[in-house]
This record gives sequence, structure tokens and C-alpha cells, in this order.
Amino acid sequence: MAASAADIRSALSIPNTPAPTQPQKKQNATSTKKPDGISRELYSLIGPSAPSLAAQLAKPRLKQKPNFGSGSVKWEMREFKNGARSDGLELRHWVKATTDPEADYPFAKYNAQPSTYDYTQEEYVRFLEDLEWTKEETDYLFALIRDYDLRWYIIHDRYEYPGSTRSMEDLKDRYFSVCRKLVRNRPWSGDETSKNLTLSSFQFDKERELTRKKYILSLDGRTPDQIAEEEALYVEIKRLEQNERRFKKDRDDLLRLLAGIDSGLPEVVEDDPSGLTSDIKKKKKGSMAMDLDSPSTPLSASIPMIKRIPSTKNAAEDALHCIVRSELPPPTSATKAAHPPAFLRSFKIPYPKTAIAPKVVQTLSEIGISHNRLVMPTRHNCALLESLLDQASTLVETKRMVDKLELDARILKTRLGMKDDQDMEAPPPSASIAGGDIGMDMDEPVEGGEAETEEGRAQSVVSTRSARSRDRKHPRGRSMSISSVDTSVAAATRAGTKRQKRS
Amino acid sequence: MVNYGGDEVSALVIDIGSSSLRAGYAGDDTPKAIIPTSYGYRKTVSDSDIDMTDGATGELTGPKANAQLFIGQNGPGIWRENMEVENPVVDGLIQDFNPIKPLVEHALVDIMRCNPTEHPILVTEPAWNTPANRERMAEIMFEELQVPAFYIANTGVLNAFAAGRGSALVIDVGQTMASVTPVVDGFVLRKGLVYSSLPKLVHAHARHILLSGSMSRPGIELLPHQLISSKYPVEPGLSPQFTLRQDRIAKTTESWRTWAEGREVDEWIQTVAGVLDQGWNDQVAASRPPKQYEFPTGFNTYFGSERLSIGEQFFYHSPQLMASNPNLPKHIPALMTESLRECDPELRQVLMGNVVLTGGGSLFSGFSDRLNSELSRSFPHTKIHAAGNPVERRYGGWLGGSILASLGTFHQLWISKEEWQDHGKAIVGQRCK
Repeated sequence: MAASAADIRSALSIPNTPAPTQPQKKQNATSTKKPDGISRELYSLIGPSAPSLAAQLAKPRLKQKPNFGSGSVKWEMREFKNGARSDGLELRHWVKATTDPEADYPFAKYNAQPSTYDYTQEEYVRFLEDLEWTKEETDYLFALIRDYDLRWYIIHDRYEYPGSTRSMEDLKDRYFSVCRKLVRNRPWSGDETSKNLTLSSFQFDKERELTRKKYILSLDGRTPDQIAEEEALYVEIKRLEQNERRFKKDRDDLLRLLAGIDSGLPEVVEDDPSGLTSDIKKKKKGSMAMDLDSPSTPLSASIPMIKRIPSTKNAAEDALHCIVRSELPPPTSATKAAHPPAFLRSFKIPYPKTAIAPKVVQTLSEIGISHNRLVMPTRHNCALLESLLDQASTLVETKRMVDKLELDARILKTRLGMKDDQDMEAPPPSASIAGGDIGMDMDEPVEGGEAETEEGRAQSVVSTRSARSRDRKHPRGRSMSISSVDTSVAAATRAGTKRQKRS
Repeated sequence: MVNYGGDEVSALVIDIGSSSLRAGYAGDDTPKAIIPTSYGYRKTVSDSDIDMTDGATGELTGPKANAQLFIGQNGPGIWRENMEVENPVVDGLIQDFNPIKPLVEHALVDIMRCNPTEHPILVTEPAWNTPANRERMAEIMFEELQVPAFYIANTGVLNAFAAGRGSALVIDVGQTMASVTPVVDGFVLRKGLVYSSLPKLVHAHARHILLSGSMSRPGIELLPHQLISSKYPVEPGLSPQFTLRQDRIAKTTESWRTWAEGREVDEWIQTVAGVLDQGWNDQVAASRPPKQYEFPTGFNTYFGSERLSIGEQFFYHSPQLMASNPNLPKHIPALMTESLRECDPELRQVLMGNVVLTGGGSLFSGFSDRLNSELSRSFPHTKIHAAGNPVERRYGGWLGGSILASLGTFHQLWISKEEWQDHGKAIVGQRCK
């Protein structure tokens, strides 16, 4: 131990005294007090000569003790008077000694009396006479109302006036009518609106209340069977509505796909009241879809008027310098810069929808056109390619839809069943669809040829809408086929709906 | 203090029921003193050493003057020669007010060691209490116990308060009475209040089952342990081997015998009886496990479906039974239907959503489940509040009183001694609506 003590002394650069004698040690221990924060063993080792170290070794700081107010709180048992009581009853409770003994009882303020109307004899004679009610009974009613603070169920329960049985509505009606009459006939201190407000708060329609009670009773009186039936019917209605909505949506999709919304196809008359709103919705959707269809057409018919006005100023100059201003697609997000960067025209060639892209590409490659590369991407060529892409994707989609409908029709046909052989022999609804299909197939090469030759047609692609309407005029057979497809589809879906309803 | 609305003025709450009298401080969650309402008495004062050791004694006034009273835990429960047993409460109402003062004094002074003249006292009453009865109670409190303030509150309302509800349909199944009380905004709808002595019928049915025996077991002698000196263990179902205390038999009064037998039946009911969840079904009843029970004689056996038939009496009466007894107490579904019929149709939804089940009689195993299935059959949105804690269920009325009397806003409702002297008995009816 002595050696280790010497080591520590040397480590702490304390003069290495020879082994301290007992009296010296004792003197050390007695003369200097051990500072706080140094354990006894350590102090006996290093002695009193480590003041800097000791200063840092302060007492470990524990979490501060919570402060529970100023020490002990004196409580005393004290008598108190309740301001809400009319007598001098003094009860005793424990309170803090610091509270004011003269203060009001804190719970006395809850003794709130609701204001009820009262009337004098004269007022009764002048305004409140009623054939059904005597003054005594009215007095009795008002006393009860005061006693039970307008709790009508209790008032009705406790109402025992000899020789009269009154329903709760009778009591309410009497009370409110008396109050109304009093408000009307007494001088009113406030303005007219507050008077009307007060009057309306005393409004009571006895007949309506009685009918309401009757409804509640009949609602309560339903047997479990009736309740179960009601619930079943409700579920059924919900289901039908859902089906209806789905079919309508399918039909709308078809319409939009096949002909565009403004194609002028005969609308299928809606026979439900919600038709109006759904029509509006449909139109909105349709216009939106149109915008999406032609986002980057060079000269859109749908250029806003405000934008066009400044451009007309420069029209002459533009024509002189062969400048063609193209309508830019709206910036995709608000944060995009107001100045769109310069870009190559070929950069903006749209890409067909991913779902049908392979098929479109395949169709285009069949007629020997690359869908994303133009040798000479002039404005004209770009527009042509675009319209081609557009039509190709329409074609593919139509084809797909036709396939689907054919399948559906076949299923429906088999469902409608073998009962009626004549029906089977008659041209099935899918026949016209098939016809349309063929017609379109035949159309396609013609269209491809047109793309290169026909000037007017290419321009018509400027807006999908006009292009489509012109398309309809141009290959006559095709538009016919589309309309026939549409109607037959509608007929099919309607038949489907009916079947659903029946099942 | 104001935050939770409580202000304790060390009020006392006394709840007198058919089986027990509960007393305690307002603000507590359990009564401090629970003593049987039944008391023993003996007209001829013989051995004075017995009452010295057995604590509670008292003097009766009136017709039974000079009779020695035996009250409390050591009252009727201890066999004494020629001791009669009586219960002042009949059908939930106090019929005999003479022993009330000794009973209350025993609870307050001997058990709680407090001085009734220093504490306001809240007493409970059943909803069908008569005005004369409550005035008499007020008189006892003010004139005989000299309380500074008094209030009498309805058990139906208090049970609703104990369940934390201002409006509720309170189903209270006690020892002798079952009642259905519609409570709205803290007031009883008196027109909708219905009650019957259904628990008595259940008790009688159980007693009949035990005494008459069945195919598998003989009738059972309902002897209390006080009359048996020794017994030997026997196998279940075998006849018991015990010796009677012949010295006591002769000196046992008829009323004590009835009381003790009733207690044996009650204990048997409380131990084994139950009720099926979904109405009576022989197969289901047979499939439930039988329970073993040993009587003081040493006779023990397993009780199967008969234990479940006891609880069935609460919910269903066979047509033969109905035909044989036109005054049959109504079962609980009938009581509820009757009560709801009297209530406003608008209230029915509210009440059925706040059904409060209370009372010691409702502690039958399976009672609340059965009630729930009975109610949900006719009312779609029933919600039953049944305290899970047996103490809360048994002493719901006391608990509600404890809550009420510890509220700061309640202290304006006390009838003070001054008011009692000024207005007389009429003040009770005016104040305690």
C-alpha cells in the first residue's frame, strides 16, 4: 500500500516525503478538514494538498427536488354558510387556512333559477283565457314548471290535477301559448328582433309534435321481421344503385372512346332523376379528356382568347418572316418556369399510351413508319405523325373494345339461352360490331396513304374534335359502323342491367 | 376542490334494505358498517351475560317495550334461547319503525363510532315509499337522533348516479323486491315505476326444490349449523351423518328457524344458482357443469340443471304456474315492458340505452347476459350498465348516496333542523321531490 501511495504521490507531483509517521498522519487528519466530494480513502491517500482537484469534485447533483408550494399548508375545519340556502344551516368542512372565511360558498353560484313567466290576475283575464283551461289549473301547471325547471317529462309525470288528464303536448302547448301571449302583449324593452327571437323560442306546434310522436311509436312498433325486411330492401337498393352507376360509367367510357363527347351520337335517354347531374359531370370529364388528347397540337383551336389577342398584333410580321407560333402545352406544375425553354419540334412527338403502345408501334411498323423518328421533322410532318399516332391508338382501342364486346355479347347470348331458336338465327347484336371492326380494318391502309397525300386532312388533326368530326364525314362507312357499334353496345348494356336487376 | 364539484361535510349515508342496513361516510366508495336488517329480540330478559358479550343490544319502545334486542353481525346470527327474529322491512318498505333507531344507532355509534348529532344524514328510500314513511324517517332522525340536517333520496335515482347517469332505466333486484325505475334528469318517473316481489318467488322456488328432492336425491333438511353439534364427511349424494344439538332444538323459536332456513336457501342460491344466457333449453342446461354444494348437515351433492332453473324464474314463468297463481309476481321482461309502456315514446330510446342493473339479486351468474339477450330481442340499441364489482352492485344505492351527499352543490338541499322545526313534516315532501 505504501508503494502505491508513493506512486500516486509521484503521479500527482506531490513531494515524496518519507513514509509518514503516525503522529504526522494524525496531525494531518485533525488539522485539515476533509473537503466535500472526496472520498475518505482518496483523501487519506493524497492528503490535503489537492485543492484544485477538490474544487472540481463538487457534490454530485441529483435531480432537483420538486417544489410543493411553500412547505406545509395549514388546513382547518371551518363552519360555513351556504348562500344558496334560506336558513342558517352551518355545515363544517376542511378548508385551507389561507382562504377568506367571509368569502361566499363557492358552490352557491350554481344555484341558478331559470326564469319562468308569471302572470297577474288581470293579465290572465285579458289575454290568457282559454276554454280548455281554468285559471287554477294554469296556476298549477306553472307552479309545477317552476318546481321542475321546465323538465317536461317530469312535469307530465307529476301532473295530477283533479279531473283532468293531459298529455305532455297539452301541457307544453298551454305553457308556450301563455308565454307567447305574454311576450306579445307586455311592453317590450328591447328591439323588435329580440322580441321576435323570444317569440320564436316559445314556438310550439302541437299537431306536429303529435305526428312526430306517432311516427316514433310506429317506428318502435315494428316487428323484427319488418325491420329485417326494411334492411334487406335498403341493401338491395344500394346494390342496384351501384350496378346502375357502374353500367353508366362503362357506357360513358365507351362513348368517349368511340366517338368523342361531341360526336353528336344520339344520347341514351337517362331515366333516373340523377341523370342531369351525371350528364354535367360527364361533359366536364369529356372536355378534360379532350384536352389531354391534344396537349401538344401545334395550333390548337382551344387557344384562349386572351392569349391570342397579343399574337394577332404580330400576325403580319409573323407571316412575313414565316414564323409559326405554336401553342405550348400548359406547364405541368405551377413551380415550372414561366419561360419554357427552347426545344426541338421532334422532341414533342407524343408517345402512345403505355398500355397499348406495343400494338400501336406494331401497327405503324406494318405500314413502315417509325413512331418516334422523323427524317424531316417539319411542322407539317410532325402534325401528320401525331395524327397518325392518334388514329392508330384509337384504332387499337376500338379493336380491343370490339373484342371485349364480342365476348360479352357471346356470353349474353348464351345466357339468354337456347329457348328461342329464332333469336339465335336472327343477326346477333355483335354482328354490327364485327362489321364495324372489318370496316375499320379496311380503313386503316387508306388512312395511312392519306397521311402522306391529303393536306386538308392533316390540318384537321389540329384539334382532335374537328378531326374526328371530319373523319366521320370522310370515310362514310366507318362512322356509320361506329354509331351502330355504340347503339348496339348501349342496347347490350341495358339488357345486362335488366338482367342484373332481375337477379 | 371546485374542480370535481366535491365538498365533503362529513355527511353520513344510510341505506336500509331488506337484507342489510348500510351506513358510511359520504365520499367513501364502500359503506363502513353493513349490518343485517333482521334483528333478534327476546321478551323475557333472562341471562344478562349473553348480551354483554354479544355487543349490540338495545331497548325497544312501543308494543315490544322491555324486550331485549340483538342487533348487528352478532344479532340474529347467533343462536339464543327463545330469541325471535324479525325484519322491519317488508316488501322494501319499513313497516315497523321501532327498531329503526336502535339499528341506525348501532351502525353509527357502535360500529362507526361517530356522533349522529354532528353529521348531516342522507337516508335512502325505495321509489314506492309512502309520504308518511319518509316523514316518519325524518322524525326519527331529527327528534330521536338529533341530526343537524337530513335528506331522503330515492334508491332508483341514487343507483343511476352510482352508475354515472342522470337518466337511466334502473333494474334493481334486491332480496325481496325487484323493481324497474325510469329515471330522467335525476327524477323518478312515477308512472313508469313498477315493482314485484319476484325475488321472493325465486327464493320460494329454490326452497321447494331443495326440500322436495328429485329422482336422484332425497329432500334436504335445511338445518342451520347452529343446531348441529357434530357431523361426519359423507360421499356426495349419500345421506348425511350428523347429530343435532337437542338441547337447543326445543328452545328455538319458529321465527328464528324460518330466518335460518331462509339463510341456508340464500346461501345455496348464491353459491350454485345461475341462469342460462339464451332462454331455457334442456340440452344446454344439461351440458353446463354441475356444481357441488355441502349443507351444514354434511349432506353434499352435485346440482345440475336444477340450479339453472332457479334463475329462469326471473325471466320466464311457465303457463301452468301463471294459471295456478293469478297474483304471481311479474318477471323482469314483463316489468320492463310495463314500465316502458308508461314512458313517453321519445324517452324509450334514451332509457334503453342506459339500462342500469343493480342490487344483490342481480349477482346471479349469467343474469346480465340473459337480460341483455332478452332486451336485444325487442330493442335494437340496448346498453346495460352492470357494475362488475359485487360491492358496487349490492350497495349501488348507498354508493349513489355517497356521491350525492359529497357534492358541493347538494348542500343547499339538506333539510336543516331549523327548517324542520319551522315547517314541520311538510318540508320533507317539498324538498325531496
